[in-house]
Order: sequence, then structure tokens, then C-alpha cells
Amino acid sequence: MDNPKIIVVEGTPVYDIRAFYRKEGRAKYISHLDLYRTIQRSFQRSKLPIWFTQGFNPHIYLTFALPIALGYEGVEESFDFRLRENLPEEEILSRLNAALPEGIVISRIAAPQKKAEEIEKAEYSLLFSAKDIPAGKLLADFDAFLAQDAILTEKRTKKGPKEIDLKPGIFASKTGLSGDAVALEITLPAGIFQNINPTLLTDAFAAGKGIALDYRLIRRNAVLCKDGSRFA
Amino acid sequence: MSNLREKLEPLLLKVQKPARYVGGEFNSVVKDKSKVKTRLALCFPDNYEIGMSHLGLKILYSLVNAREDCWAERVYAPWMDMEALMRENNIPLYGLESFDPLTDFDFLGFSLQYELSYTNILNMLDLGGVNPLAAERGNDDPIVWMGGPCAMNAEPLCDFADLVQLGEGEEIMLEMIDLYQKHKAAGNWDKQAFLRDAAQIPGMYVPSLYDVSYNEDGTIAAVTPKDGAPAKITKRICQDMDKAFYPETFVVPYTEVVHDRAVLEVMRGCIRGCRFCQAGFIYRPIRAKSPDVLCSQGKSLCETTGYEEMSLASLSTSDHPQVEEMLDKIIDYTLEEKINLSLPSLRVDNFSKELLDKVNKVRKTGLTFAPEAGTQRLRDVINKGVTEEEIMRTSRIAFEGGYTSVKLYFMMGLPTETEEDLLGITQLGQKIVDLYYSLPTKPKGKAVNVTISVSTFVPKPFTPFQWCAQDAYDQIVAKHDLLRRSLTTRKISLNYHEVKTSVLEGVLARGDRRLGKVIYTAWKKGCKFDSWEEFFDFDKWKEAMAENGLTMEFYANRERSPEEILPWDHIDVGVTKSFFLREYEKAKRAEITPNCKENCAGCGANKLIGGGRCIG
Repeated sequence: MDNPKIIVVEGTPVYDIRAFYRKEGRAKYISHLDLYRTIQRSFQRSKLPIWFTQGFNPHIYLTFALPIALGYEGVEESFDFRLRENLPEEEILSRLNAALPEGIVISRIAAPQKKAEEIEKAEYSLLFSAKDIPAGKLLADFDAFLAQDAILTEKRTKKGPKEIDLKPGIFASKTGLSGDAVALEITLPAGIFQNINPTLLTDAFAAGKGIALDYRLIRRNAVLCKDGSRFA
Repeated sequence: MSNLREKLEPLLLKVQKPARYVGGEFNSVVKDKSKVKTRLALCFPDNYEIGMSHLGLKILYSLVNAREDCWAERVYAPWMDMEALMRENNIPLYGLESFDPLTDFDFLGFSLQYELSYTNILNMLDLGGVNPLAAERGNDDPIVWMGGPCAMNAEPLCDFADLVQLGEGEEIMLEMIDLYQKHKAAGNWDKQAFLRDAAQIPGMYVPSLYDVSYNEDGTIAAVTPKDGAPAKITKRICQDMDKAFYPETFVVPYTEVVHDRAVLEVMRGCIRGCRFCQAGFIYRPIRAKSPDVLCSQGKSLCETTGYEEMSLASLSTSDHPQVEEMLDKIIDYTLEEKINLSLPSLRVDNFSKELLDKVNKVRKTGLTFAPEAGTQRLRDVINKGVTEEEIMRTSRIAFEGGYTSVKLYFMMGLPTETEEDLLGITQLGQKIVDLYYSLPTKPKGKAVNVTISVSTFVPKPFTPFQWCAQDAYDQIVAKHDLLRRSLTTRKISLNYHEVKTSVLEGVLARGDRRLGKVIYTAWKKGCKFDSWEEFFDFDKWKEAMAENGLTMEFYANRERSPEEILPWDHIDVGVTKSFFLREYEKAKRAEITPNCKENCAGCGANKLIGGGRCIG
């Protein structure tokens, strides 16, 4: 590829590459851990000169700047990997895409420009409905829920459940109707410092009402950095 | 795709591990159903993680899908949460490749791997809209066929199965499909006529063509074939494993399954003749693949799946006739490709330092022995040709090579077992602990860990112990107590299995056709996933037995006389009944029988490969 990012590990140059991929269809049911394994195996199948970590138990080097949850589709997700030699961009793309299972498609690769720490927020689209509740009523209830001064819920953290207020985290939100479902466009904190998934918000809403939501769509559209640019 | 998939979508985010239910895995086979003649559902009566780990179904999946005119799909038992949502939303059980309900298939094949999965078969059929009772299914309903180790005594399942396949499926399945297509092409499809013809395929058992009558005491009076079905049905095998079909690739699951790796089957059969072990007899005679065939099959699997781990599967890999050459070649390949190699079953008695070094080159995993019994006398009774000296010698080599933990597998409730035999279990563990601390090479500050796993012996058909009484529940519990009290060190951890499941396993393993009603009743009462301790409901099973006028004691805890007609006597696995009886008598005298390599014991299985010596 042109303009590769070359790093030297123990005297040997390796090529640092960021892949941008879509996660859609059946692949949305893959958890992060399973996705990690799936992509490692795809690299094995592709026979690309993939770089393995050094050490007693070498494994394919693969990192995700912002993991994506089970049930979520993604439009421009990314992971980083390394090759032992530089290859044409098209060749890397075609060999890798041929080895990936249905629903995971790499749209482009590039040398990484930003660090994972620069990620600040992400944009999501959701469609949801609830059995026996008209969409209009559900929308009105959800709008009232969003309009509260504070939206308290429990979030699972490494140190156990913690009560947090979701309200200050909402950068932007827009609601409406789409057929018989409520449509929500929302921008929420993302990244290693604070990460709020939109279903944390909608699940808090459902729990408060004592209802169960049927999610038709949960999609992350964009991952954004502090300066407002897309993670690249 | 289909309507069903749309109905499923909103449910999938409400269940655990939805990836179990969506298909689409890498290497899964999707065909155009309008272009295939015969559709088969390969059903595993347990959850996705377990079913996807099973090698037999992977072989059959690839075998059938290699035929252009057939399409084989996978079906697993949905977990409780998914089943509830499916029933609530009227979603029938479906094939993972097409999302078509079970009623759309020509054949529904079930793999019988363990007795406690039987209720899941009924439940899966019911969930798929198929009546579990064969007699109540119509002419055009799918044909329910079963195979696998438990098919060797499928009598308890005769109410549910149309066909039972005995032995290895590679050839028999294709013959069955050919016959089916012939009948279909002839028009005027008559299921009964097809079944009568299927009974003429060697190795195919059609239970409905046999009448079983009983004596007053509940034992069998006679098994009478009708409509020209053979009086004895002989198991089928692949004669030459190098030529037997083996998949070039596996379906690679999205979500982690129990055995998530490339599995290389190195041989079938076992030379050991451990008297408790059904697998050791029903898979006879021994047939190994050559190292070169294994290497190319292993390479193909790893390259097409991307698996980073490979395991060698057999009953006793270290008995492979060319084990050193095989390991040498496979280890070279796996090291080069950074693939972890795991060797699940290792015998202690031909475990050389050289071999251990080779295995050590790959990766350190635990060291596992299966002495099975605590004293030499009892090991002789069960013909487990492992001596204490061998265990100590191998442990010493392993400890010197850096191992610090040893796993030991034992059984309790073995025939002729005494208190001394039981105490021998913990004593052996203690000797290994003492050995570790006596070695000058032991790593500083690292404690040894000996894990003792004790399972309950369940007498199985087609073993020399098929006539034995199984220990009753209370006896086993008392033995557990004795073992626990005999432990004096924390360096040994002791595990044992749930006793109640072993009782039911014993009942079903040596059951007759009358148990069909019991299985049906238990399932109606809500029994399923019986092998999962959290779902197992022993009381319901007891009720089901009682309601059908039967007792567990009759099946599990009764010593049979050699004259009794056993429910599986019309099945021929190759090994003869007279051999089993001879072995049983030798067991009572604690006499061992050498392994097949040393000396042919005349078990009878050689007739399946046309006579002569199988090995050695």
C-alpha cells in the first residue's frame, strides 16, 4: 500500500494497518470476543503475511479501538493489524474479504492516523417498538423520558454496578416515527474514558415503564474524535 | 430469505448467545433447494456449543453435501430461553442453513451420543412440528433416523425412530439416500415399503419390523423379525480408513463452542479391551490412518478453517501403529504454522521421554492419567493394563519436564469393588504428591496439584459387564463419603459427578422397548436437557417409571443371567456374546487379557474386515 506506517519490532520492520469494516446482517449477533476470534481466523485463512505477537505463546496481533456490542450493526468500525511485508492495498482487501464470514466486510484500509484515546463520541440509529403499544404512544413516552432533568440508571462496571446519570452525556438526539417503530438518532460518549451504549438508555426507559422493547435496528453510524472528525 | 427468519429477528436480541440460532457461519453450506432431490437435517439433541463440537456430524454433513442432489443442514436443541420464545411466537424448529422447518425435510437424523439426551429428541421433533411417535406419523412426514454409539441399543427409542443406523455412517447413509430416491422416483411413495427395503441394507435396523415379547418377570421372551427383516443386524464399518471420507473443512462457528478447533481423527477402534468401556468394543476392529493421510487432512482443515488449534481424536492416540512418525510430522507442521496441537487421550504405558519431549515442544497442557481403579487387583478386573509403577514413572518424567499438575480419572462402583479399592484411589493420589516433593528438580515455590475425578460406573451393553448389577444410589453416596473422609491433603482435589444422572443413564443404557413410554411420559412432564444438572429432575423420571409400571432397579441394579435374552441381542457389533461372557468370567477372577497388538483374543470383530489379524 502507499504511505504505509512502518514500525520496527526487534529490528524488523512491520506494517501497521487499520481496517474499516461494516458489521451487518447475521454478523451483528457476534459478540466482541467472538468477533476477535473470527477475524483472527479469517487472517489465517487469507494466508496474508500477518504479524504474530512475539513471546512464548505467539498469536495474531489484532486490536480494536472501540469494541462494538452484540446486537449492534456497524458502518465504519475499525481494527488494527500488522503485516510482515508491504502488499498492494487491493490485494490485502480482496484476500481478507474473501476469508471473512458473511456480514463482515472491509471497505478500506489505511495507515492509522489517530489514537484510540482521541475517540470522544459515536453516532447511533435505533428503531424499536413494543408489543401492544402504539408507536405514537411509545414515542411520546420516550420523548418525556428524554426530557427529564436527570436520567438515572445502573451501569455495570469492572468495579460492580454503579448508578450514573445518562442525561449530561447526550450530545445530540432526535426522535421520530418510522412505520410502526420509534426512530432514534443519538450521539453518545464513546471511547476508553467514558462509553455509553444507546441501549443502556432505551433499556432504562423500558425498565422504568415495565415493558420489553423489540429492537428492529441498532446501528453505530460513526465514531468521532474530540475535534469532531471521524476516527481515521 | 424465508418468512421464519423475519419472525426470528426481533427475538434474537432477547436470548443468550443469539449466534447459536442464525447460521451463516463460514463454510456452512447453502444450496438452492429447488435443485436438490433430498434434504436431510442432521440433528444433535443438545445445544449448539455441544452439537457443533461433534465430529461425527461434521463428517456426515460434508459427506452428504458433497452430493449435488442432497442438502444436509444442522439442527441443535434451542436453549430454554429460545425455546420459550419460539413456542410463544409459533416458530417451528428449523434448519440453520435454510430456516425451513423440520417438516420440510426428507430425513431427520439424530445423533445418539449419550442416554440423557433422549428427551431432547422428542422435544426437538415436537418443536419442529413432527410427532415424536413413529406410529402416529403419516406417510409423508419426514423419516426419523438415528445413529451413533447409543444406537447399538436403541430399544428405548424404538417408539420414535423409523430407522436406526448401526455403525459408521459413511457408506450406509449414501445407500439409504439412494434407496429413498429410487422409491420417490417410482411414484406412489409408501413409507412402509421404503422401510421394508431399507431393512435389507446391511447395518440398517428398522425397529418396527421386530416384535418383542416378554416373560412374566419382565425379561425378554423373544425378538421376532417380520417382513423379511434379518434376524441379526450387523454393524457397518469403513474397511480402510485411508480411503474413508473425511471433510476437507469444518463449519467455523461465530461463537465459541466446546471443541472449537480442527479435529483430526487418527483411528477408529481400540486395542485395549478395558472391560467397562463400550467404545472400546463397539468401534472394533482397530483401523488407523497413515501419517501422510493424516498430515494432508490436518493441513486442509487448518488452512480452510483458520483454526489456531488442532487436536488428534481417537480412543487411544498413543496406540497408533506409527505414532512417533505421525506426531513428528504433525508437530513439524503445527509449529511452522503456529498452530497449537492438543493430544486429548494419552496412555501412560507407551509414553516415552522422546514422545513427551515432542509434545512439550508444542505446548504444556495438563498431564492426564486414567487408572480408573485404585488398586492393581481392580485394575486387573477391568483389564485396565496400567500399573502403579508406570504411572509413577510417567509422572516422574513429567515432573522433571516441568509439569506441576496431574489429573487422574477413576470410576467407582466397579464390579467386585471393596473399601480397599476405594481407599487406593486417594492413596495413589498421595503417592504422586509425595513423588513430586521427593524430586530434587522440583521448581521452587510451586505446589503440586493432583486432581482426582471420580465418575460412577454404569454397565453398558456390548461390554463384558453388560450382565452386572449397577451400584444403587445409596451405595454410591456412601462410597463418596468414604473417599472424601480419606483425603488428608489439600494438594489433592476431589471431584465427582452427580449420582442420580448415573442411575438414569444406567436404566436407559440397558433398557428395552418398554422404556419408550417412560421417556415419552418424562418428556410430557417437562424433562429435557437431562444431562444438564440444573435441569435434571429425577423425581419426574421416577414418576414416569412408576406410571408405566416399571422400576429403575429392574434395569440398573439387577444381575442378569448369561441365559437371559438381552434387549440388544439381535444387534451384532462384531464382538461376540461368547467373548463378552468369557471376559466377564476372567474379570471375576481378576485375570487380564493382553491388548490386540500383543495377542489376538478372538473377540470376533475381525470378521468385519474379512477375517485375519486386525493389528500387530
